[in-house]
Amino acid sequence: MKKQLRHAVNAGGIFGIITIFLFLIGFTGTAADLFSDLFRNKNAAPFLSLNPQMLNMLIFLGLIGLWAGAYGSRKSKSQTNDPWGAALIGGLTAGLVHGLLVCGLALLVGTLSLRGVRINVYLSEVLPDAIKLFLVGKSPLQGATVHIVFLTLTGFLGGLLSRGVGRGSWRVRSGAAWNSILEKISQQSIVKQVRGSRNTRYVVYGILLLLVFLLPLRAGPYWNYTIGTVGIYVLLGLGLNIVVGLAGLLDLGYVAFFAIGAYTMALLTAPQPHHLMWSFWIALPIGVLLAALTGLLLGAPVLRMRGDYLAIVTLGFGEIIRILSKSDALTPFTGGPSGVKAIGFPTLFGKPFNSGVDFVYLIFLAVLLIIFVTNRLQNSRVGRAWEAMREDETVSRAMGINTLTQKLLAFAIGAAFAGLGGALFASRNVFTGPEDHNLMVSINVVAVVIVGGMGNIPGVIAGALMLKGLPEVLRQLEDYRVMVFGALLIVMMLWRPAGMIPSARRKMDVIDTGVTETPQEEREP
Amino acid sequence: MPNVKPPPRRVTTYKIVQGIIGVVLAGYLIWRLFVVFIANPSYGPDTWARFAIAGLILGSVYALVAIGYTLVYGILRMINFAHGDIMMIGAFGGYFVFEALKSIPTPTLADPELTFLNAHPALSVIAAFIVGVSIAALSGYFLEKIAYRPLRGAPRLVPLISAIGASIFLENAAQLLFGAQRRDYANPIVLTRGEGWGIPIGGSNVILTYTGMLTVVISTLIMIALYMLVMRTRLGRSMRAVSENKQVAALMGIDVDGVISRTFIISGALAGAAGVMWGIHLGLVYHFVGFIPGIKAFTAAVLGGIGNIPGAMIGGLFLGLVESLGPAGLGINFQLKDVIAFGILVLVLIFRPTGIIGEVLTEEKV
Repeated sequence: MKKQLRHAVNAGGIFGIITIFLFLIGFTGTAADLFSDLFRNKNAAPFLSLNPQMLNMLIFLGLIGLWAGAYGSRKSKSQTNDPWGAALIGGLTAGLVHGLLVCGLALLVGTLSLRGVRINVYLSEVLPDAIKLFLVGKSPLQGATVHIVFLTLTGFLGGLLSRGVGRGSWRVRSGAAWNSILEKISQQSIVKQVRGSRNTRYVVYGILLLLVFLLPLRAGPYWNYTIGTVGIYVLLGLGLNIVVGLAGLLDLGYVAFFAIGAYTMALLTAPQPHHLMWSFWIALPIGVLLAALTGLLLGAPVLRMRGDYLAIVTLGFGEIIRILSKSDALTPFTGGPSGVKAIGFPTLFGKPFNSGVDFVYLIFLAVLLIIFVTNRLQNSRVGRAWEAMREDETVSRAMGINTLTQKLLAFAIGAAFAGLGGALFASRNVFTGPEDHNLMVSINVVAVVIVGGMGNIPGVIAGALMLKGLPEVLRQLEDYRVMVFGALLIVMMLWRPAGMIPSARRKMDVIDTGVTETPQEEREP
Repeated sequence: MPNVKPPPRRVTTYKIVQGIIGVVLAGYLIWRLFVVFIANPSYGPDTWARFAIAGLILGSVYALVAIGYTLVYGILRMINFAHGDIMMIGAFGGYFVFEALKSIPTPTLADPELTFLNAHPALSVIAAFIVGVSIAALSGYFLEKIAYRPLRGAPRLVPLISAIGASIFLENAAQLLFGAQRRDYANPIVLTRGEGWGIPIGGSNVILTYTGMLTVVISTLIMIALYMLVMRTRLGRSMRAVSENKQVAALMGIDVDGVISRTFIISGALAGAAGVMWGIHLGLVYHFVGFIPGIKAFTAAVLGGIGNIPGAMIGGLFLGLVESLGPAGLGINFQLKDVIAFGILVLVLIFRPTGIIGEVLTEEKV
């Protein structure tokens, strides 16, 4: 019982801190906006003197409260009997602690703002309106009471719900049922035949491709821009996938190669600052080659070191490129902080590719090409060498793989893809400048690869869609995007180190080693 | 094994390239020194002294942060990527203490506008350090507990990615919490930035700023204390034992997890102190303040041989000096001083990956 209580108090504390954090970064208000879009209840009548916005916020808090209660009532391993008592006490305690913390926050914030302290000078999201919303339009004391009662109740309810449905077993049962249904379906002869045949795969791919190719015609310019960005991130992700996912080298300065591609395209085709105005089709391969060459040059000294040095050196290199492109010293050459304007666009068979739709197709073509190349590489001798190297460098060397050459190759090919992405990006935007090439690009790409699934093409595509496409749909969440990326990286490493769609080999790997269950020993690469 | 001969040294292309790069660089350096000091001395000794002082101050901050990297690396063999952001948290802690103390009025007859900050500057600075250090130590502890401990024993890339995630998360959480604007550190008037003792060098006055001297003195004290801690105390001995070999240390009755936790607390505390000093001396805090110093401190740690505590101190000072003397000495634009630090990192990795002094445990890591 004591153990259960302690667990519940801990759970309440954790969720209390999470809720406080969410309020301080202004997320409670954003969530309320999101819910009001979802329920379309912006102009609904007030209920119990609460306007819809406040109700929406309370719904959001209630969801957290339910979760806190469910988490707090979780059974500890040692104890088996008396599920209801545990649910009651666990849920109630967790809810109470959660409520107490949030109530304290409400009191503090409310009194401070009543006294005329402008909290948003220090905590920029705690605006007077946000405080008013948080206190559901009442005095601090009343608002705090509402919170403590509401959160205790929802915690209690959460405990009951989780115990009522028999949490753990329910999950297992539903999983088993789902699996048996799947099993049954796949036993059927037609399904087996269809699944087994190669043609099905081609048909599915064909349909997907057709959809993808019809999409830009229907989407407006804004969505075409977004689709194009997602496409470019697929390109970058596939390139980094070779470096990180296949060869196991963490490159945090991937943006450097992207920048080299973009600047090559820009400087060769733009009227300023060099007045070269070369054709897109000449500048493109030059950009790709230059990026690959830089990859080789950077990789040569660094790749013989251990992997974590590589992360920092590449990070530093990315910053160097950005600082250089921004600096006064190179302004006559790169256009300095103001960037390069009027970058050329491609023409094919006399048709200029300057509209949004055309460019989306060009990016699609590049993505298809890269998917093809990656696929062939992955299943080639080189690809297998990379994967062997990633798993165990010493053993792969014993198998006769020249690891340095293979690493360099992976690095250069990854860089070349980034160069291609950069060149397309610059040409599509007609402009490029130092701020297009900041660290965030590298981090986005790393997140795309890791969240999607390292070493896996569909995984990378899914990752790009999720991380670059989804935030465009949920525009309110734009501010929180990068922070969520950071949290996602940690969460993925803790729970699914192989990514959302793990590659077959990775999957085996992770089951094999079971990251969390390994004994405490160093597994040196 | 007395009879094993060392393998014959093979001359590879890499070594030839390494040699060529080395000769070119050395030649360039000698030529630059000749130009700067003999042929065309564009700076007087006072300017050089100014650069050197600035470099030492910066270097002592880098050294503190670098020790944090080295401690963690020595024990876990992982780069604590979020270390620079812990420094940022410490800097914010000190900032809020100053802001709070600034708003407490303590009127006297002579000065009715006097605030606590200026009435008791020493107390205020101590309070800022205590708060900054404790918040940073606490975040170091939780960082390890949440983001690294569950990944103990996983392949190397996994905790590194988690660390990068933690770094991004902390930076952006700080941005969302405190806003993106840069904030001025409200020092007590006694510690006004830019004021200090004047020393006549080469006919002009070189100023030793109070804030700078505070930084150097405090960081020296902290480093001495840390060295004593690692070398003389029981905790220090168990830290060294764990960094040597975890299994054996555990067999000897050392609580490995506890030691790792404490290491993170210590390294967080060091970063916190560095953050407060950064704020007091340089005067700006914002969410990104720890990023570049973090990378540079890592460079310093690599320079000194990662895992090696005195190495990190020397590496930090060296990097600070090079960074402030470098642009003038090499005759390049001052905007590019960050490039020098990264360039040094790459060069060190080419020529002496074990650092200037050498790693403590080389054979199993490279």
